[in-house]
Amino acid sequence: MTRRVVRGAALAAAAAFFASAELRAADLELGRYLATECMTCHGTASATSTIPNIFGLGEGHFVEVIRAYRVKALPNPIMQSIAERLTDEDIAALAAYFQTAKK
Amino acid sequence: MTDMTRRNFGLLAGASLATLSTPLFAPTAFGQAKPKVVVIGGGPGGGTVARYLAKDSGGAIDVTLIEQQKTFTTCFFSNLYVGGFRDYKSITHNYDKVKKAGVKVVHAMATAIDRDKKQVVVGKQRIPYDRLVVAPGIDLKFDSVPGYSEAAASIMPHAWKPGPQTQLLVKKLNALKDGDTIVMIAPPNPFRCPPGPYERVSMFAHVLKKKGHKKSKIIVIDPKPAFSKQAVFMEGWEKHYPGMIEWQDPKMHGGIKGVDPKTGVVKTDFAEYKAALCNVIPAQMAGKIARDANLANQTGWCEIHPESMKSKVDPNIFVLGDASIAGDMPKSAFSANSQAKVAAMVIRSELTQSRAFPARYSNTCWSLIAPDDDIKVGGNFEPGDGKIKAAPGFVSQKGESADIRKQNYKESVDWYNGIVADIFG
Ligand SMILES: Cc1cc2nc3c(=O)[nH]c(=O)nc-3n(C[C@H](O)[C@H](O)[C@H](O)COP(=O)(O)OP(=O)(O)OC[C@H]3O[C@@H](n4cnc5c(N)ncnc54)[C@H](O)[C@@H]3O)c2cc1C
Ligand code: HEC
Repeated sequence: MTRRVVRGAALAAAAAFFASAELRAADLELGRYLATECMTCHGTASATSTIPNIFGLGEGHFVEVIRAYRVKALPNPIMQSIAERLTDEDIAALAAYFQTAKK
Repeated sequence: MTDMTRRNFGLLAGASLATLSTPLFAPTAFGQAKPKVVVIGGGPGGGTVARYLAKDSGGAIDVTLIEQQKTFTTCFFSNLYVGGFRDYKSITHNYDKVKKAGVKVVHAMATAIDRDKKQVVVGKQRIPYDRLVVAPGIDLKFDSVPGYSEAAASIMPHAWKPGPQTQLLVKKLNALKDGDTIVMIAPPNPFRCPPGPYERVSMFAHVLKKKGHKKSKIIVIDPKPAFSKQAVFMEGWEKHYPGMIEWQDPKMHGGIKGVDPKTGVVKTDFAEYKAALCNVIPAQMAGKIARDANLANQTGWCEIHPESMKSKVDPNIFVLGDASIAGDMPKSAFSANSQAKVAAMVIRSELTQSRAFPARYSNTCWSLIAPDDDIKVGGNFEPGDGKIKAAPGFVSQKGESADIRKQNYKESVDWYNGIVADIFG
């Protein structure tokens, strides 16, 4: 399965997620701290790199993909492992952070 | 979280990009002067912590990095240089962007730590600190292999500290003739980069194969009964270099009796080899400055608190990277970089009252076996049982598709660029 295929599947879950209060109260400072972990691999990613760019990703897509990794609906063991310990609050914080953060 | 930070946060939740790129919290006045952090060692541990402290405190902390070298050649990816996949320049970096991030970089050797006065001694100079980060990497125990010494390393390179040693190893490797023998003496645990020796063996084999060698042999004398990613490495060796690599555990060699740099002879309990290239990777310990300051215990490594990377013997000192006893975390650049972020977060919270978060660490180590055949191991780590404890991780499996292995290689190249930018700017 590819990252694109999973999008439809997780859409409903993501929609429900957006309705929740968690996202509205996204903890940007938490996001900023958690994002330091991502920089090691994603920090210099570009449109053509194998490790994809995640700066400026829409929150919806971001949440969807990370949740898909978390339930192992997407196969890459690195991102499965990274996503495994992220709570919904963490994911919301990261999504909000990366949507606006610049490299 | 305090009420104060909650209120600030409400305001910031909808804030713009501009707000995000400046520090989220102004430092509370801490006496008159800015708090001072001194970092010893500008590798993955020290470079990362210095840059993050300067960047995230927005200048509220005075950060000084003491690094003896003007440029830093990474050990990580040095095996790819050995294999001819990278040139030396591409694994060598400078501190220009670290300086630009607001870090004062002092290119000198820190000679001592005066823990009572909270000062680092650099020759005749004394640099005061409120918090000190010690990240000096490793020193080699040359005498752990009988017959080996610092002088012998100019004939039998260890190449376990980056730089001229790695260049010497490559020179000797490229001069080998078909039928020659390479002997590697692998290190005992714990050591820098657990899969490193075996990736290096793979790169030796790749170079010999490419040169068309049919009779050359690589003998690995290992003091350990097993090694990192062993099953996948050995499968790869059989596939790409059948019959070339012979790995011996202690049962097979009976013990390492010694090396003779003059003759190139390597003796074990059961055999004797004449090595045209002998790569001795001795036992290791924390860098001298850490040991001299009594930050290390009897094992030669430094105990830390898993929640913060703070030294167990001095609350004003943090020890990062290879020099630390980081529980289940391997000694890798990835680990050092991960630990640095936890330390930076804790130090900022102590010195500027910024918010503290629970420590989280992670690591992934890729190893190249042959062109486009790359394997990985990794996982998450958190404080637990009084140490940094591993959660169940992942490791490459035997029989994986060529696509997966090729993707691994491409990931590793992107990671290299990412981590180097994270350390050196
Ligand atoms: C062959 C090989 C392959 C590797 N491959 C990988 C890999 O693929 N992935 C990975 O994650 N890791 C890899 N590693 C491991 C990685 O290189 C180390 O774990 C990492 O460099 C540790 O970082 P550090 O900051 O603790 O120490 P170091 O990188 O050793 O940095 C310490 C710095 O401190 C300086 N210093 C020491 N004492 C003083 C002093 N008194 N005053 C001033 N400066 C001082 C030194 O000059 C040095 O620059 C590999 C290692 C080897 C040998
Ligand atoms: C060890 C390297 C590594 C780290 C650390 C890492 N990632 Fe990834 N990330 C990857 C790789 C590799 C992929 C591509 C995986 C695939 O092929 O499915 C990826 C993919 C992603 C994607 C999918 C992007 C898209 O458009 O489909 C997102 C989102 C993502 N990562 C977020 C994160 C976040 C958030 C963090 C930090 C909490 C993080 N990553 C940390 C390696 C890493």
